[in-house]
Amino acid sequence: MSQNDNFYSNPKAESTRKFTSSVFAMACLIVSSLAVVILVTLLATIVISGKSVFVVKKDQDGNVVSRFDADEATEGTDESGEIRSGVNWNFLSGDHVDNKPEQSGIGQAVLGSALICLICAAVAIPIGIGTAIFLEEFQPRNKILRWIHGLVQLNISNLAGVPSIVYGILGLTTFVYLFNVLPSIKTDPTPIPWEVGATHWYQTRTLGKNIVRFKAGDRTETPIELTQNEICVDGEGNEFELIIVDKRSDAPADAELRKGYALRGRKASMVKDTWPWFFRLPFGKCLLSAALTLALVILPIVIISSQEAIRAVPRSIREAAFGMGATQWQVVRKTVLPAATPGIMTGAILSMSRAIGEAAPVLAVMGGVLGTTRGIESLMSQTPVLPVTIYGWAGDHNAGFENASSAAIIVLLVVLLVMNSIAILIRNRYEKKLS
Amino acid sequence: MSTTTDSQTTATPEEKRDLAIQLKDFNAWYGDFQAIKDINLDIRARQVTAFIGPSGCGKSTLLKWINRMNDIVPSAWAKGSIRMGELEILNKQTDVVSLRRRVGMVFQKPNPFPKSIFDNVAFGPRLHFKIGNQDLAALVEWSLRKAAVWDEVKDRLHKSALGLSGGQQQRLCIARAIATGPEVLLMDEPCSALDPASTARVEDLVYELRKQYTIVMVTHNMQQASRCSDRTAFFFEGEIVEEGETQQLFTRPKNQKTNDYVSGKFG
Repeated sequence: MSQNDNFYSNPKAESTRKFTSSVFAMACLIVSSLAVVILVTLLATIVISGKSVFVVKKDQDGNVVSRFDADEATEGTDESGEIRSGVNWNFLSGDHVDNKPEQSGIGQAVLGSALICLICAAVAIPIGIGTAIFLEEFQPRNKILRWIHGLVQLNISNLAGVPSIVYGILGLTTFVYLFNVLPSIKTDPTPIPWEVGATHWYQTRTLGKNIVRFKAGDRTETPIELTQNEICVDGEGNEFELIIVDKRSDAPADAELRKGYALRGRKASMVKDTWPWFFRLPFGKCLLSAALTLALVILPIVIISSQEAIRAVPRSIREAAFGMGATQWQVVRKTVLPAATPGIMTGAILSMSRAIGEAAPVLAVMGGVLGTTRGIESLMSQTPVLPVTIYGWAGDHNAGFENASSAAIIVLLVVLLVMNSIAILIRNRYEKKLS
Repeated sequence: MSTTTDSQTTATPEEKRDLAIQLKDFNAWYGDFQAIKDINLDIRARQVTAFIGPSGCGKSTLLKWINRMNDIVPSAWAKGSIRMGELEILNKQTDVVSLRRRVGMVFQKPNPFPKSIFDNVAFGPRLHFKIGNQDLAALVEWSLRKAAVWDEVKDRLHKSALGLSGGQQQRLCIARAIATGPEVLLMDEPCSALDPASTARVEDLVYELRKQYTIVMVTHNMQQASRCSDRTAFFFEGEIVEEGETQQLFTRPKNQKTNDYVSGKFG
């Protein structure tokens, strides 16, 4: 008894305990503040090196004095004070220009990122939700099927941890080359990949809507001299002769013949995929391949978060619906899905923000495209995306691109921040409604 | 209480009363575990039959087999026969959807859908019938009146059902169950999550409803069984030890175990 009393009221032991406790609390505080300090430093560095990119200095006539080096510009124009600074819209809307960081912009990259993200969402979210519903709601009774069910579940949990570059290689063989089942695009011109849509030559621009179609294997990046009476194929597959004329007014009057004329001296260059629905197999290095690969990257995340949202729907609600005579699908459709939608949407948005920030799979599938001259014309076009642009600029020998890279990072972070805030907003708004 | 016994005395001989559900040699398992052993039981129409017994004795399992709710439990299986009129409930070909329309269920915990009160009650009719908006509104009102909750919710029909109190939610669930026009109502401890005042209201409701519906009720509360049931079956370890008129079972049990249970010696 007295021993016990002594133990509990021992002042020395108590102070030791308190000391250990406070040391441990201090250690935790130091470690966590270290993480915060690193994060803040990182952000500060990026903001400091990138902020000048967003500012443009103009003189009174509206001529651009300086885009980047803000200090220099102010120095040179102090005496008049006529220099005004404004937002550098060119950076936000312009395209990449080689060796000219002050003229380069992220317009195309933002557009490309948005498009790829949309396609990625359109593919990954329905498949992901469907899989989650199957795994959670349609558990089979058969032993073998149950085993398969478990295997699928195990695989999905593991896939979530696979590095994204591995998905990039997977996308390369699957979407870009289609396991080489079909003749490849990049090999010699004899094999022709399967194509739908028009690939037409330079001269058809002068023809307006008439479309000249050549064998896809003939496409080349280097301009070719057009030859008189060359046999071409139009969009419907009809053959016709190419007529070379000196002036536009010399164009044949006959509508049939007009179809295939070109001005002398014009060169046919790389085929142009004019139709937005231009499509080919294998996809090749294009934004569709990139979007599908990113869809694979985020699919496990969508599935797992949807599963969690579905699992969070109380069992009693399902029982109630079953008890009313609802079929399995009605239970899912009318009670489980409406209740799980906020959770599913939160997960979907978070996975989207993962997809928008991924560089590795895009690099593997589409290459380090920084800019295209023709912009995005179809799903088969290549396009720069934000993370790849950041990667490309950061490694450029021109120091100005480093600043531009930081500025692009700021834009990317703002986009991610907005998306995550929306996810949190949805979660907070609807989570109370369930129970 | 007195009316209960009255109705029973006028109803004798009981054999003449039509049977709602007949169980013959019914056995049920969860995997290898046999939850119910060789049960033979006649459930009479338009009476309240109470199932009592200690936890894990199979009464809830039996209840869930009557409308095949155990179909959603992968390990559950059963043998024997449960007949409802001409319908063999355990038959694989039996249409579970129409069975569950005829046999409604009320659960232990009030489980309204996270929807409006109106949509909760309209859920079943919308599943089973093609019904116009006016008829649906009338049906919802009828069901809510029947479940004695109309006066409390008529001004907030389109507000979330989750805003109701526990007792109101449970009566809403009963309204939801009767909206599909069932013949039998299964109640799995309908009052165990409610406070005494709400319990009393639900009990009154059960007493009212038995004029129209056959009610099977699982309860842990012996007073409740004696208050609002016509017949009682005492379950023990998967078997029915004794079944009979509630009055007789509680006052003059034939079996020693029943006596011990109803007098509170165990359970």
